[in-house]
Amino acid sequence: MNALREKARELLATKTVQVVIGYAPGSGGAARALFVREAAQAGELVFDETCLQNLAAYLMKPEVRRLGRAALVARPATLRTILQLAAENQLAESSLLALVPGADGVLSLSTFSAIEAHVAAQDNDLSAAEKSELEKFAAMGLDERREFWQEQFSRCLKCYACRAACPLCYCTRCTVECNQPQWIPVPAHDLGNLEWNVMRAMHLAGRCTNCGDCSRACPVGIPLYLLNQKLCSDVLSSFNQRSGMAARADHSLSTFKPDDPEDFIR
Amino acid sequence: MPDFQPKIVAFVCNWCTYAGADLTGTSRMKYSPQVSIIRFPCTGRIDFMLLLKAFASGADGIIVSGCHPNDCHYSSGNFHARRRWIIFRGLLDFLGIDVRRVQFSWVSAAEGAKWAQLVNETSERIRELGPFAGYQRLRGLGVG
Amino acid sequence: MARIGVFICHCGENISATVDVKQVAAAAARIPGVAHSVEYKYMCSDPGQQLVKDAIREKGLTGVVVAACSPRMHEPTFRRACAETGLNPFLCEMANIREHCSWVHEKGDATTEKAIDIVRTLVAKVKKNKALQPIQVPVTKVALVIGGGIAGIQASLDIANAGHRVILVEREPSIGGHMSQLSETFPTLDCSQCILTPRMVEVAQHPNITLYSYAELESLDGFIGNFKARIRRKARSLDETLCTGCGLCTQKCPTRKIPGEFDAGLGLRPAIYVPFPQAVPNKPVIDREHCTYYRTGKCRLCEKICPTQAIRFDQLDEIVEVEVGAVVVATGFDIKHGDFFPEYGYGKYPDVIDGLQFERLASASGPTLGEIRRPSDGKVPETVVFVACAGSRDPAKGIEYCSKICCMYTAKHAMLYRHKVHGGKPYVFYMDIRAGGKMYEEFVRRAMEEDGVQYVRGRISRVFERDGKLVVKGADTLLGARPMEIEADLVVLATAAVAQPGAEELAQKLHVSYDAHRFFSEAHPKLRPVETNTAGIFLAGACQAPKDIPESVAQASGAAAKVAALFSRSELVREPLIAVVDRQPPPVYSSCVGCFLCQSACPYQAIEKEEIRGRDGQLIKTVARVNPGLCQGCGTCVAFCRTKSIDIQGFSHEQVHAEVLALLNRGERDA
Repeated sequence: MNALREKARELLATKTVQVVIGYAPGSGGAARALFVREAAQAGELVFDETCLQNLAAYLMKPEVRRLGRAALVARPATLRTILQLAAENQLAESSLLALVPGADGVLSLSTFSAIEAHVAAQDNDLSAAEKSELEKFAAMGLDERREFWQEQFSRCLKCYACRAACPLCYCTRCTVECNQPQWIPVPAHDLGNLEWNVMRAMHLAGRCTNCGDCSRACPVGIPLYLLNQKLCSDVLSSFNQRSGMAARADHSLSTFKPDDPEDFIR
Repeated sequence: MPDFQPKIVAFVCNWCTYAGADLTGTSRMKYSPQVSIIRFPCTGRIDFMLLLKAFASGADGIIVSGCHPNDCHYSSGNFHARRRWIIFRGLLDFLGIDVRRVQFSWVSAAEGAKWAQLVNETSERIRELGPFAGYQRLRGLGVG
Repeated sequence: MARIGVFICHCGENISATVDVKQVAAAAARIPGVAHSVEYKYMCSDPGQQLVKDAIREKGLTGVVVAACSPRMHEPTFRRACAETGLNPFLCEMANIREHCSWVHEKGDATTEKAIDIVRTLVAKVKKNKALQPIQVPVTKVALVIGGGIAGIQASLDIANAGHRVILVEREPSIGGHMSQLSETFPTLDCSQCILTPRMVEVAQHPNITLYSYAELESLDGFIGNFKARIRRKARSLDETLCTGCGLCTQKCPTRKIPGEFDAGLGLRPAIYVPFPQAVPNKPVIDREHCTYYRTGKCRLCEKICPTQAIRFDQLDEIVEVEVGAVVVATGFDIKHGDFFPEYGYGKYPDVIDGLQFERLASASGPTLGEIRRPSDGKVPETVVFVACAGSRDPAKGIEYCSKICCMYTAKHAMLYRHKVHGGKPYVFYMDIRAGGKMYEEFVRRAMEEDGVQYVRGRISRVFERDGKLVVKGADTLLGARPMEIEADLVVLATAAVAQPGAEELAQKLHVSYDAHRFFSEAHPKLRPVETNTAGIFLAGACQAPKDIPESVAQASGAAAKVAALFSRSELVREPLIAVVDRQPPPVYSSCVGCFLCQSACPYQAIEKEEIRGRDGQLIKTVARVNPGLCQGCGTCVAFCRTKSIDIQGFSHEQVHAEVLALLNRGERDA
């Protein structure tokens, strides 16, 4: 933690960056985001197991971009997100550097290739627990799954907190806001809730880096991560592709292989 | 449910399956009238949102069909569509939506007989599955 | 408020026998927005079309639905009829109640109900249709032809004779290609050079043709009608404007023992050379790899003796930029060389040669001045074995296809050999004889029956040397696979025709697709054989697949006709059924967020980046733009775009969405 503070202080003092985006203690035992713009303020930074938020989401905000070059305290999923955003032409390499706190100090990654190398060395698979949860779902009956999700989605408020938290939901106009035609009904009823969640999952397929912020943001506790993990796992098993591995990468759903699986097509 | 007549929407590409279905007609092969076709330039154009809209509007089944691999008029629209379907189908299944209600197929402009057979088999399957009541119950307020 | 006219056709009885057309007309009249609904026996007939036209005028219709046959049948007919009244043709849609309804269902309520569903669906669509204007793209009336073999020459001449400028780029120092190397041509046995060289001269002298020989395409950008090509003119090491082609330098050059490309390695050439006496342009080039001066820094003999002081040792490659409207790719083919056939001793025994080498031996301009003498000792061979399908049709060698030209040229080779060596014994080993073509079968027959060429059906297994002879081991499969052994003096392998080295790289520069064997892909195997999938780029000759001369020339003329058609107007007019990325007033400009994931989905490289800048020149955002010259209207990008910023005209979000809802909502009110 001291190494992180020291690094932040140095980056700000030398004007290498104009802002360090990290974590500070928040309410209810959770961490919150902290924007450090003065070297003197760097001491407020913390990093521990409560620091879960994917801070890359802030990189897409115009207010944050206006601050100048940012150093971002990055968890593994944050690094994948940075690469995915780069692959989607949303980030300039010169606009950021990533600070990765580790057991022996803090690693500063200032280029996409450095981030790529770091990401390539880390475990980007779903965890054993995540995999087994998906397996549990696969083993359920169809009706059981439908009832599960119907119950979950019936609580959805269409508050779009998931979207606001998601670093990849940076579209300035979301499909849900299109009204000519109205793709998704506005009220929070069962059909609209299902369509909204299916649409969002589809739009994240092959892009989501599994940071989990959507689920943490959901005020009614819908396990949205399950949808994204299911699609991550399908993209990997069907196309052998992962999102967030490289700053220049083809998106799995806008590319193809002539021999993609098609056992379901007559 | 012997009297149940399912509503089935077919989303097809202009160059292969639409022409194949034309050939079914010119060959006077008969098939179930519960299927109606909506024409698209290419399977690549078929938005998964339209499939959701079809179910929301009361479709009991959906057919999505285009050119065989390597036959696409636009060379690769069907390949992109195929990837999208793989993911979409997996997601529907995960959400407990019976993917047997969505039939994907390749029907070329020469396969009039295949089109008739596909429609008949799909109609039969949907008839057996019954009305898509589970989905249509969701309709509630303000559909569409 | 929409005023839609619905016109229901009986199609004689084709529709009305199973569909209650009166009921359909009545139901259509009740659809909100339908101002007029009638049925008629033959809507496509003149009186039927008149009915549509009159109604458009009298009822002030804003859209038309013709419920009749497939749009693939009569959509153009009715759209034209609408246009004649002044109604935009894209406000007319066909409801297919024949092929998709009356012909495929029995008579009954369900069939009539379905016809009504279809009509309601198309009415809902047409209400969302927009008047569209054909797209006009300016056309630069200059063609780039890549490759100066017979296909490229033919295409260049045809385009130039149609009155358009042509830039012909040839990689080698002279145009002429493989055809210039051939001795005589099948099935007429006329001399190849005699028919080719006048064409080469015509190219050189044509006022509409600019020839860049010893040059290669560096890059190609842009789109149909508006390409920008960068051409690398490789340094010849001489000033072409000064060189008179006197040939003194090539005679005096002291480095003379370089195997010549033109003679397929059988003859020798100097380091400064003209590939062959009839070369166009007839200007030498210094082969820097072999030139004594470039290797040792000493010599410069050619510079000293050149009467016009044209030699330029320090010349650099030059990049020329040209704007062209169309490209014809005519880069030809190559044949398999080297150690591809170790079992035949090719590359190991000097008297096992390939077809092109035999052409040079038989050619009056070749290293033996047309006498058939074998490379090793110059002896006239008494027995020659010709092997067809050397590599072709051999999945084990990775070449499954038939090279198409070998059956014919092998018959020709055997025939030429017999004509030149009267007592000679020619054998041809073949798998099948493929002599489809005008006078082709007769030609092969002549080889067998008049010229006494011994045809043996079977593959040879091995060639090896024994007592100064080449022993060819094979089997005659028509005689019960009887093993055969022939002692030959010369073996000629008809090695497989393959893509040019560098074909893949060129395809990538051009953004055209290629097959597993690196031959370029035509847009449609039957109906668009000279076009590529990239609009404005055409194919001619053996770069698309192995072809003989008449086929190459025919395809070249076909490609030239396509180019001439494209250049027949100064603007290219295209159907407007293409994708468009939205543009909005500031501060939004476009709902596109510039993720460009659509770019890789587009099969036509039609999606470009457009920078939106403020008045001060500051970059505001970079968004996608669909190039209307390249987009073919598949709509893959449309279904892909998360912000729904891309839409496709004619199959827009609003149109297809309205169709889905209308189809399923029987009896419910349409929006």
